[in-house]
Amino acid sequence: MQQQLSVILEALPYILEGAGVSLAIVVFAMALGLLMGIPMAVGLVYGHPILRRLIGLYVWFFRGVPILVLMFLFYFGIFDALGLDLNAISAVSIVLGLTSAAYQSQIFRGAIQSLPQGQLKAARALGMSDMQGIISIILPQALRLSIPGWSNEYSIILKDSALAYVVGAMDIFTRTHFVASRTYEHLALFINAGVLYFIITLVGVKLLLALEKKVRIPGYTM
Amino acid sequence: MFRKSSLLVAAISFVLLFGSVAFAKKAYVNGIDANYPPFAYIDANGKPAGFDVDSLDWIANKMGFTVEHKAMEWSTIVQSVVSKKIDMVYSGMSITEERAKQVNFSDPYWKVAQVIIAKKGSGLSVEKAFKGGMKLGVQSGTSEADMLQNQIGKDGNNYELKYYDSAPLAIMDILNGRVPTAAMDIAPAEDAIKHGKDIEIVGEFGEPEFFGIAVRKEDKELLETINKGLKMLMADPYWEELKAKHLKDGAH
Repeated sequence: MQQQLSVILEALPYILEGAGVSLAIVVFAMALGLLMGIPMAVGLVYGHPILRRLIGLYVWFFRGVPILVLMFLFYFGIFDALGLDLNAISAVSIVLGLTSAAYQSQIFRGAIQSLPQGQLKAARALGMSDMQGIISIILPQALRLSIPGWSNEYSIILKDSALAYVVGAMDIFTRTHFVASRTYEHLALFINAGVLYFIITLVGVKLLLALEKKVRIPGYTM
Repeated sequence: MFRKSSLLVAAISFVLLFGSVAFAKKAYVNGIDANYPPFAYIDANGKPAGFDVDSLDWIANKMGFTVEHKAMEWSTIVQSVVSKKIDMVYSGMSITEERAKQVNFSDPYWKVAQVIIAKKGSGLSVEKAFKGGMKLGVQSGTSEADMLQNQIGKDGNNYELKYYDSAPLAIMDILNGRVPTAAMDIAPAEDAIKHGKDIEIVGEFGEPEFFGIAVRKEDKELLETINKGLKMLMADPYWEELKAKHLKDGAH
């Protein structure tokens, strides 16, 4: 026990640096997923049939292919073919972001479709264009409703970020494995990594819950 | 606003000025398998270390280039050299025909036996490991994994390969009783024994292999530089020091 604890303590600064890497990957992926997911959701609900088809195809692809396969595909194939020289962390962030966009578009689509149908018509009756109605009436409500699904997405991406290990990004898991190889204290170190992921998940979800409470519209219940 | 932009200009000129000084030397990136002690691992300070890391640092210093060691996933490391993510692999890489199709190797610098390990006192042998119909652990993407895969079903070999990401993980699974035996280079096996792990080497198999440094086919000049540096290193007293520091009794 003494031995394991001293190994963990000694390695902690190094592994915590990895926590920064893992978090950076998650934050970037969530942001990219959000920026892509909202327009995709709007397109899925209100778009032209062809646009809906295209977005549907994108979602189908990124939901259907394992993240591990996507990482190899992009890191050793597509990015190279495009002439992009990305380091492992950027590559992983982008792949997770593109995947998250597919999932987030579904979260937002569900939220938009849960709103009463008449709202956009009412916006038109007030003289708003469709776009104005979507931006100022639909989305503010839909985004609030999406927070629970979004916090779920956060914890999923955080855990998927451990797959960054396959392309050698220096995240929590990769670093843990390195320390374990030198010290042969695999069990203690992997427990430690698990605890770290658990803490980061918990803190993030709590923050999102607080955000949900903060932006709740008084008196508005679904 | 004005102040911010002048700061930015100052910062950029600073980077340009000092960046250009830093770029006077050629800078290379070396990919390592940081799960391969004692040749390459991450030390207690979170820095790359090991026999190969020290060797290359010495060569870089002598030959006048700078080098950064980057921990990579071993099974894709040759691919990483080819796609220019790294410039070389100096990390206990066995010279094999298969790899030589994709990269060029330096002169060999280390002879390494391939061994079968088992739990201490298991009474197992190489013969039993190969012909006893048991599971055999091996690190994926290694020369021994390729060879063992090809040997299944030949001259009575009937083992089932179980793949691991690193030699230490295979060792852990032997200790956990999940696989009875594992195949690996002698270096990580001896390293584990040195760490008091309850395993033993039950015997050698196959032909001994030689470690070499891998570079891209087109990087002829770099290969020459490395070969020259390697020759100097192996003739230098520091070579013996390295062996004493990293390897069991420095035994070759």
